[in-house]
Amino acid sequence: MNTVLFFKELKRNRKNTLIWSSIVLGFTLMILSIYPSFSHMGEDMVKLMSNLPEEYAKAFGMDEATWSSIIGFYATYYGIYITLLMGIYTASTGATIIGKEERDGTAEFLLTRPISRGSVAGTKLAVLLTLFVIVYAVQTLVAIAGMTVFADTVNWDAFVAMHIHGFFLIAFFTSAGVLMGSVLSVKLNYMGPIVGLIFGTYFLNAIASASDTVGFLAYFSPYHYMPLTLEQGELLVDPWACLGFGIVSAMMLVFSYKRYLKRDIVG
Amino acid sequence: MNVIETVALTKSYGQQRGIDKVSIAVKKGEVFGFIGPNGAGKSTTIRTLLGLLHPTSGSALLFGEDVVKQGHLLRQRIGYLPSEVDYYAEMTSRELLHYHADLFGITGATKKIEDLAQYFELDLDRPIADLSFGNKKKCAIIQAVVHEPELLILDEPTSGLDPLMQNRFFELLEQRNADGTTIFFSSHILSEIQRMCDRAAIIRDGEITAVEDITTLLSKQMKKVRLVLQNGDRPELPEGAKHAEWIGNKVHFDYVGPTQDLLGWLNQQLVLDLTLSEPDLESIFMNYYRR
Repeated sequence: MNTVLFFKELKRNRKNTLIWSSIVLGFTLMILSIYPSFSHMGEDMVKLMSNLPEEYAKAFGMDEATWSSIIGFYATYYGIYITLLMGIYTASTGATIIGKEERDGTAEFLLTRPISRGSVAGTKLAVLLTLFVIVYAVQTLVAIAGMTVFADTVNWDAFVAMHIHGFFLIAFFTSAGVLMGSVLSVKLNYMGPIVGLIFGTYFLNAIASASDTVGFLAYFSPYHYMPLTLEQGELLVDPWACLGFGIVSAMMLVFSYKRYLKRDIVG
Repeated sequence: MNVIETVALTKSYGQQRGIDKVSIAVKKGEVFGFIGPNGAGKSTTIRTLLGLLHPTSGSALLFGEDVVKQGHLLRQRIGYLPSEVDYYAEMTSRELLHYHADLFGITGATKKIEDLAQYFELDLDRPIADLSFGNKKKCAIIQAVVHEPELLILDEPTSGLDPLMQNRFFELLEQRNADGTTIFFSSHILSEIQRMCDRAAIIRDGEITAVEDITTLLSKQMKKVRLVLQNGDRPELPEGAKHAEWIGNKVHFDYVGPTQDLLGWLNQQLVLDLTLSEPDLESIFMNYYRR
C-alpha cells in the first residue's frame, strides 16, 4: 500500500463521505427519535398497523413486535433505508474509485509515477474499506446511542445480528460496485445500475416475501440470505450466510484487482 | 549502454493496429527523435514503454530492465511529459507538484518547484482547472524534470507553449542533456527534432521506416534541384530524380542519389541557371513517406 496515495485519496473523498454520512446519520436519528411517539400510542398503534394487508406487512417484515419495541421499529427502517443508502454510497464509490482516474484522464499521471499497478489498486481498495468502515461504524454508534436514549430496554442480541447482516450485505454491494467498475466502461454513470441492483434485489425479496406463489424469487436476492427484520421480536446471526457473502465479496474484489493489473490505459 | 531498447515490440488492439515490430535502441546521453504523423504509433510506443499499455509481443527494456516486470522501479528514473495534460482539476499546480514529489520521494522539492515555476513563469497557486493549456503544459514540464530523471520521455512537448517558453524549455533540455540526461523526443514538428536530436526514428503506420543520424538525413539524402535549360528540350532526368515538374524550359525535382552522378548529368545539359538546395527535414520526412 502506498501511504501518499492513501491519504490523498481519503482527502479527495472526504466531501462525498461527509454528505452521505450526514444523510445516513440524520436518518438514523430521525427514525429513533420518532419511536417514542409511536410507542406512546400503545395498543392503538398495534391495532392500526394490524389492519394493514398481510402481504404488505410481510413484504416489509412487519408484525406485532415491529411496533411494540424500538428494535422492531428500527429494523423496518434499517432494512428499507439505511442499508440501501449505505450500499448505494459504498457501491458507487467502489465502482468509481479506480476507474475515476481513467475517466478523468489522471490515470496517466498516477500510473507513470513509481508505483506498481498492484499498489495503486490495493491502496484504492484500502481507501474504500476505510470509508465503508467509517460510515458503517459511525452509523452503528449513533444507532446505539439513539437506542439508549429513546428506549428503556433494547434487544441488543437482535441489534448485533441485524448490524452483522447489514455489514455483509453492504460489503457484498460494495464489491459488486467494484466489479461493475472493472468490467464496464469507465465512462458509464454507475449510479443507475447500482441503485437498480440494490433497490431491485430489495423489492425482489419484498415481493417474494409477500406471496408464496413467487416465493422462489427470494433466492435471487441477497436480502433473502441476510435478513434484517425481526420475526416475533428476534433475529439470529446466520454465520454460514455471513461466511458465504464474505467469500463471494472477496472473490469479486480479487477478480477486479487482477483485471486491473492487465488493463490497458489507452488515454 | 542502451537506455531504451525495444525488440520487435508489437501492440495491437484486437483487430486494430497499434505498433508492429518496433525495434529501436537509444544510447545513454543521446537525444533521440521519434518522428511520425498523428496516429502513426508514437504515443502507443511511449505508453508501452511506460507500462500504461501491455505489449502484445516483443520486448521493451529501459536501463536493461523489462518494462512490464520492473516498470514501477524504472519509473523512478524517468520523467514523462505527456502531449495531453489531464491533471486533478481540484488541485493547484503547487499541490499537484508536491503530490508528485511525495510519490517520487524527492527531498527538498519545495525549492526545486519554486525555482522551476519562476523559470517558466507559472503561478503555482491557481487551480489547475483555471489554467490555460500552455500553463498546464508548464506544470507538466516541471513535474517531468523536477526529480532530475536519468531519462526524459517527451511526447509532443512544445504544444501549447509560446515561442519564448519553447526556447526556455529547449535551453533547459540542452542543459539537462549536457548533465547526462537521455532524452526521447517524440514530435511531428521537424524543426524541433532538427534542433534537439542526434538521431531520429521515423514511424509510419505503426512500423519504423528508418532510423537515421540527423546529420546524415540532412546531408546525404535528398537534394532539391531547380534548373533552367537553354533550349526547349526536355531531356530524360537522371536516375534518382523524383517529383519532377516542368514549366516550359524550367524544371524542379528532388534528387536522391550520389551527388557525383547528378553533376555528371548536369554536365551534359545546356544549363542557363541552377539552384541546388539542402532539403529541410520536412522534405526528407515527406520523402520517406512517399517511399
